[in-house]
Amino acid sequence: MSGRRVAAITRRLMQQFRRDRRTLALLFVAPIVILALLGYMIRGSSSVPAVGIANQDQGPLGGMFASALEHSNLISANTIQASDGDAKLKDGSLAAYIVFPSDFSQRAQAGTIAPEVHLEGSLPGTSVPVLQALQQALASVASSRPGAGLRFVPQVDYLYGGRTLDTLDYFGAAFIGLIVFFLVFVITIVAFLNERSLGTLERLMASPLRRGEIVLGYMLGFTILALVQSAEVLTFALAVLKVHNEGNVLLIFGLEALMALAAVNLGIFLSMFARTEFQAVQFIPLVVVPQFLLSGILFPVSTEPKPLQVVSDVLPLTYAVNGLRDLMIKGADLTWPSLQLDVGVVAGFCVLLVAAGVATLRRRIA
Amino acid sequence: MAEAFAVDVQGLKKSFGGLRALDGVDLRIRPGEIYGLLGPNGAGKTTLIRAIVGLVAPDAGTVMLLGRRMPDVDNLRNVGYMTQAAALYPGLSIAENVEFFAAINGADKGVDEVLKLVQLDQRRSSVVATISGGMRQRCSLACALVHKPKLLLLDEPTVGVDPQLRVQFWEEFRKMAAAGTTIVVSSHVMDEAERCQRLGLIQFGRMLAEGTPNEVRARAGTDNLEEAFLRLAGDGVVA
Ligand SMILES: Nc1ncnc2c1ncn2[C@@H]1O[C@H](COP(=O)(O)OP(=O)(O)O)[C@@H](O)[C@H]1O
Ligand SMILES: [Mg+2]
Repeated sequence: MSGRRVAAITRRLMQQFRRDRRTLALLFVAPIVILALLGYMIRGSSSVPAVGIANQDQGPLGGMFASALEHSNLISANTIQASDGDAKLKDGSLAAYIVFPSDFSQRAQAGTIAPEVHLEGSLPGTSVPVLQALQQALASVASSRPGAGLRFVPQVDYLYGGRTLDTLDYFGAAFIGLIVFFLVFVITIVAFLNERSLGTLERLMASPLRRGEIVLGYMLGFTILALVQSAEVLTFALAVLKVHNEGNVLLIFGLEALMALAAVNLGIFLSMFARTEFQAVQFIPLVVVPQFLLSGILFPVSTEPKPLQVVSDVLPLTYAVNGLRDLMIKGADLTWPSLQLDVGVVAGFCVLLVAAGVATLRRRIA
Repeated sequence: MAEAFAVDVQGLKKSFGGLRALDGVDLRIRPGEIYGLLGPNGAGKTTLIRAIVGLVAPDAGTVMLLGRRMPDVDNLRNVGYMTQAAALYPGLSIAENVEFFAAINGADKGVDEVLKLVQLDQRRSSVVATISGGMRQRCSLACALVHKPKLLLLDEPTVGVDPQLRVQFWEEFRKMAAAGTTIVVSSHVMDEAERCQRLGLIQFGRMLAEGTPNEVRARAGTDNLEEAFLRLAGDGVVA
């Protein structure tokens, strides 16, 4: 193994990418567009949640809040009876209802604004607008009744579950990994195939280069790109989309880097079985679709039929997605056995794919 | 050079499915010799060259390069191989391509020198995707030469190169051979044969005749190499 020869390959890949605007766009613009679109689809939804208002307040304040809420454009409010609320949540006609209890005004005198907020809970993206609408109502009510230092303590409960996370928080964590994995995979498989069809691989094989040096050079080159891409995607997700994150950013970055490594080697490995660029493109849905459906991104693996769970359990992305969610949503660290398992399995896949890549790269072209 | 032959191939056979691409080829080339491998398309020239560098696994026979039995990866640093189609990285500049092949062959200099040799030093930063076929061919030659190999295998190097430059190419080949480099050139153009010290006429994977251009002509009983080849090939088919 010669470091100089490995570096020669890595440097050459960088030089190639510098001039290849289309690939650079795929690597660095596409993920942001995809994430922004996902964020917009999930959070930018134009329909506002239907919210029932039940005013039982014996004082005046409940009424003032209720009318302020009716004018809010964050929710679509209508008056209901508190006793009907749960039934309306269950039949789906309401996403939430708010009760102003009989002592609402009285407690407000004491400085506490405590409406009861009942959320359906399983519908993502409703808790935020409901609470924001209440805060706006509070602001408008408070401005007409100055003086009091009011504490806002809504009593929130959920019909189902009890997450305050929205869909983007849930999918965002998985998508960060998914985007890096697939874009790196696609670019590697095409780049390696080009090497074959241009005849340059024949030249490499007629040089003192070892097969391991070629694979390592590729791995380094694409990993550098993938790390930059991961950093970009992560920054965008956390800083712009404000995807919920409880975990250590460096750990997330590390897990993404591992996935990128696996993707590079999967690309090299599969390019051995394609003779044309078109055949290589055919591998993409073959690799992407099952992993997208079965890695737990959309549906938790535990809810899949048993035979499919077996498949899910051998897909590297299942572990990566689970690991990223544990990190970002549950705030896992490396002391968690589940995260150790996820990181270990992804790392194991990397090693396996490196070996497969080296083994399938033949010096003999015939 | 201690060894008697730079290339020593014996009994080389290779079939692709039912097709015999190499059918028992013997080939011995002395150090510093310019050897022309002549034959029509599909004769087996490329397959023979690939087998010599170890890219094709022979069904039978042995290959010794510079005294070492092939395949031998480390021995490849002594070999320069110019593939038939100019295999270059289209996204890189001319100089970047040459630098890359220098680096993987363990040479850290020689890039400027070899670019002057193929007259591409003025165009060194042109991106290969944008240059003409003749320039690509020259760049490809530069990539095979840059690490100063002891054995140069050139698979139809002068295809697409204009006559004036072709003369210069051969001038260079001669100089390199005089300095001890062994050169194997394949061609299907007979007028190039005249410039080789020794020729091998190959067809259907078999060596039809070998010798200096004069010997080949004498054997066929004609003054014209083209004619000679056709006669000898005719015998080959009958035999
Ligand atoms: N990898 C291969 N697979 C199948 N057939 C091949 C392969 N390489 C060469 N051949 C066949 O072997 C014969 C010799 O080819 P080649 O050595 O390329 O001839 P030349 O270089 O003299 O034109 C041709 O008939 C060609 O089609
Ligand atoms: Mg050929």
